[in-house]
Amino acid sequence: MNFYLKYIIAAIGLFAFSGFFAILGVYAERKVSAFIQDRLGPMETGRYGTLQTVADVIKLLTKELITPSAADKWLFMLAPAIIFIAVYMGFAAIPWAGGLAPSNINLGLYYIFAIISIETLGILMAGWGSNNKYSILGAMRSAAQIVSYEIPAGFAIISVVMIAQTLNLQTISAQQGVLSAEHSKFLGIWDVTANGGILSWNIFRAPHLLIAFAIYFIASLAESNRAPFDIPEGESELVAGFHTEFTGMRFAFVFLAEYSMMFLVSMIGVVLFLGAWNTPLPNIGSVRLADWTTGMAWGIFWTVVKVLLLVGMQMWIRWTLPRMRVDQLMSLCWKVLTPLAFICIIISGVWRLWVM
Amino acid sequence: MTMEQILFYLMAVIAIASALYVAATRNLVRSVFMFFVTLMAIAGLFVLCMADFVAITQVVIYVGGILVLIIFAFMLSGRETLSNLQHQSKFISISKLPALILAGLFFIVLLNIILKGNISGLMWTEKAVLTNNVISAKDTTIDNIGVNLMSNYLLPFEAISILLMMALVGAAHLSRKERSA
Repeated sequence: MNFYLKYIIAAIGLFAFSGFFAILGVYAERKVSAFIQDRLGPMETGRYGTLQTVADVIKLLTKELITPSAADKWLFMLAPAIIFIAVYMGFAAIPWAGGLAPSNINLGLYYIFAIISIETLGILMAGWGSNNKYSILGAMRSAAQIVSYEIPAGFAIISVVMIAQTLNLQTISAQQGVLSAEHSKFLGIWDVTANGGILSWNIFRAPHLLIAFAIYFIASLAESNRAPFDIPEGESELVAGFHTEFTGMRFAFVFLAEYSMMFLVSMIGVVLFLGAWNTPLPNIGSVRLADWTTGMAWGIFWTVVKVLLLVGMQMWIRWTLPRMRVDQLMSLCWKVLTPLAFICIIISGVWRLWVM
Repeated sequence: MTMEQILFYLMAVIAIASALYVAATRNLVRSVFMFFVTLMAIAGLFVLCMADFVAITQVVIYVGGILVLIIFAFMLSGRETLSNLQHQSKFISISKLPALILAGLFFIVLLNIILKGNISGLMWTEKAVLTNNVISAKDTTIDNIGVNLMSNYLLPFEAISILLMMALVGAAHLSRKERSA
């Protein structure tokens, strides 16, 4: 029984974390947007408005759940749950530190890729179930966008997998630091197996992965429906897109899913490209910075810091760039990102065979 | 009963019940969403067979690809077309005789296999157990799949890739605008 208890505790912990992160994320988003637009943001509730999102959560919990009379009741009720669960299940395979992952499965990366694609189905369900033209339009845009951007994201991931030669996220993480079992070379010339740190991250072990990372990052913005790719909820045209009709807790679940998705895609990006739980500080001679900053607690610390930096970048981009038009969005995906990702795959093959 | 058996029966029941709903319901859109449940249950059964790669591929291709495309088609065709499609009289009727005969015959074939085939004592499985040619739950299955795809099954693999290429070219041709018309 203890065997199962461990997994149940991990699952509850992850759920609590995603809720906590959503509260924190909404507050951070408001403050970041206020800073960028030269405003103050929430100031009234609590010191510097820190309790604003808590108050919002209480408001959402007490609001009435309204189901439109013309809606398909079952689809409408289940959609927010499916959208959230799809994202939440993705956390099951992601490593937080060396030896610390909810489930260390051999096909971890592929599993996450599969689970995330279920979110599209939840969005379509919400759009169809609401029986509202804005919802359907938003859901269709969202599905078209996610299905298209999965292709460059997938190819960018494949180019990493070709370098790493495994789909196990824990192994991919371990390769990018001082604990690596194989030799890692900085830019393919300088053996840095003993130095570790930032030098042995995937983006520096194979420099073309820097381009792959950029592709992945752009595609992940589109997959989590964030600006500049937020046409599914473009409020100037579609009211609020696929979640127009949702109220109270159902609406909260859609938002919980969005913020969890931001954290999840950033985490995948960190694991694949930015050294996962490995420290950025290299060993320099007798100053063993990398050895000193490697361990369970340090691993969690580095993961969280890197992921929060990426999430911060997503927020920064959202409040800086204007929304893209549908055709621009598609031509960026198919005419720029996809060919570039193909080139990355070819370079990965060559790099693995002749350079590494 | 062990945990595996409980999970097997749970997922088998879900798969069969949801598949029946998919076939029987008049609401086309709901049946498509219910098909999602069937596919997930079957993916779970694949995992119990230690075919984890097949399970995940099923989710990627069927749920992430095919189901989304089907729903897309629904959304692009208006409600009138849909309601016309949904006006079917009965679940079993004379006009569906060929389908009924086909389904019945297939059911008999399946029953025959289950009843006549000695599934727990097949030659090749016993031989594999004897020579220790089995996979355990911790093994990586993708290495094996990759090597086999590039050696034993190279011809089918390439044939499928050519087929997909043809489909891609065809789709691009169909969706291209005519220059002067």
